[in-house]
Amino acid sequence: MKTGFRQSMAWLHTWSGLLAGWILFAVFLTGTASYFRPEITAWMRSEAYRAGPPTPSAQPMVDALARMAPGGFTLLLPDGRETLGNAYWRESGAGRRGFREAILDPATGELVAGRETRGGEFFFRLHFQLHYMSPLWGRWIVSFCAMMMLVAIISGIVTHKRIFADFFTFRPRKGQRSWIDAHAAVATLALPYHAMITFTGLVTLMLMLMPWGMQVAYPGDPRGFSNEVFGRAAAGRPSGRPAPLVPVDPLLAEASRIWGGAPAGRIAVSHPGDAAARVEVLRGPEGRLSNQRDAVIFDGVTGALIAREGMTSGAAATHGTMYGLHLGRFAGPVLRALFFLSALAGTAMVGTGLVLWAVKERQAAAKAGRIGFGLGLVEVLNLATIAGLPAAMAAFLCLNRLLPAGLAGRADWEVNGFFMVWGTLLLHAALRLGGRRGWVEQFALAGLLGLGLPVLNALTSPWHLGVTLPAGEWRLAGLDLIVAALGALLGGAAILLARRQDLPARKVRKMAHGAAPAVPPTMRHGQAAE
Amino acid sequence: MTTLALALAYAGFTGLCLAMERHHEQVFGTRRVPPMRGSLFRGAGWLLLVISLLVSVLGAGPVLGILLWAGLLTAAALLLALLLAFTPRAAAAVALSPFPVALLLML
Repeated sequence: MKTGFRQSMAWLHTWSGLLAGWILFAVFLTGTASYFRPEITAWMRSEAYRAGPPTPSAQPMVDALARMAPGGFTLLLPDGRETLGNAYWRESGAGRRGFREAILDPATGELVAGRETRGGEFFFRLHFQLHYMSPLWGRWIVSFCAMMMLVAIISGIVTHKRIFADFFTFRPRKGQRSWIDAHAAVATLALPYHAMITFTGLVTLMLMLMPWGMQVAYPGDPRGFSNEVFGRAAAGRPSGRPAPLVPVDPLLAEASRIWGGAPAGRIAVSHPGDAAARVEVLRGPEGRLSNQRDAVIFDGVTGALIAREGMTSGAAATHGTMYGLHLGRFAGPVLRALFFLSALAGTAMVGTGLVLWAVKERQAAAKAGRIGFGLGLVEVLNLATIAGLPAAMAAFLCLNRLLPAGLAGRADWEVNGFFMVWGTLLLHAALRLGGRRGWVEQFALAGLLGLGLPVLNALTSPWHLGVTLPAGEWRLAGLDLIVAALGALLGGAAILLARRQDLPARKVRKMAHGAAPAVPPTMRHGQAAE
Repeated sequence: MTTLALALAYAGFTGLCLAMERHHEQVFGTRRVPPMRGSLFRGAGWLLLVISLLVSVLGAGPVLGILLWAGLLTAAALLLALLLAFTPRAAAAVALSPFPVALLLML
């Protein structure tokens, strides 16, 4: 067995990181993109984009929804990031299948006719429940990998004994040494973020992961639990007597006054037009970390304030703060950019860790003279994940512009197309096993797609950089610019790799001649990091 | 304010880093750090990091300020590590950035 505490932690770090690494890379990268979920959705449905500040009144949308959804509805109000109104409700008596969604123009309340697309929601869902499987299974798999991530973070800290001495150290162009430096740098320099995001990520799914306390205290009644914990009163029944719905704008203003000026995030109306109507105004993410439910309830006919719900216990507040921290919806542009940067560092941490394993094994393999199945598999998965996923994500955005607007099942085809591209790149990685060529080609593809996206956007959308930049529409321009920048980065990686094609061959030859390798291949991570 | 906090965090990290032999050599050419200079760099480094925290908190409030500071520390340290690897002297020179940033803020 492994000798010593640090060695066994190094072993644990290596294997927990490697086995969960590919899913973790996808979780990190799609999660990183999800910091811009509303912006991605707006970009992907740009024909419906409304420029300018949000409309002050919610009344037109509420009036329209009261006609469409007489049983009641929830409306997400437009804010500084989302310019349209998003509503959902359950068709009465239709059970699970009765879920309806609508996107509304805040000025008129009319339905917005945009192309059918999942938008940023796709990356967001993929981030925690994967795809092509039941969301529950996906969540369990992601949770398991997140737990491995937590294990890898803690064992990694133990393994890396020179955290402070190597804090600012990155030695480029030194083979394995550089990979270790890069891995340690992106891990330690954003360590608070990595620990926070992994732990709070597990907290978001904690009721699924550890439901036992809830099951004992509320046997067979999870709704009773959540109503009590999150301070939600059960909705009443309609009275059958018609009565007009109270104007909602004064209610929004009143709720905002109660919250000390913080704006409302959503409004939920039950039984509009009935004498038993109720209006719930829920606080938005602005001005607080927590996403804990904080609602002001009004009578839907008289407009009288009935109650303030939520803000129940310390435990619920802790949960809400951790959940809110994970989502980061409270963050303004600067803080959001910093979260995005740290999340990219997290993605790079997983990616460099995966590459590091392969680099070390390859040295061992060069010495032994043959490449084992395990190393081959890791190299294929590494390539298809680290270079293939960004390329597929860029392809997803390109498909959004290329698929015809009237295609049946269009939103699904965007997603299927994403997986077809990704699957093709996996095949390509398998065919290009063991060389740099595969990396050069996939990075080049990702770079081309990323850099090409603003061009494609200019050809297919009225909201391209030539319009959005002069108008200062950063909500849309941001996506073009960020994707192009990342594309340039990946394209640059392709060029660098292509230029240094000769380097590994020389190194392998040197090693074959018995010259001292940088690190004896038998050494594991912990010793090598010294 | 955010820019100033970022510049201060960068300068603070540069101070800490110049007190270390490896980085002292990269910038000044000698591996041995004179003891006085080492303590000076280390002290100034920590002080600048604390000032950066104060600036963040003053600008964004205690809750968001601390989060902002943590994010700025990461950004500053990543930038410093990257610059240090390729142009160590320029990396050290960028540490003087709080002066022009503060001047701009005063104008």
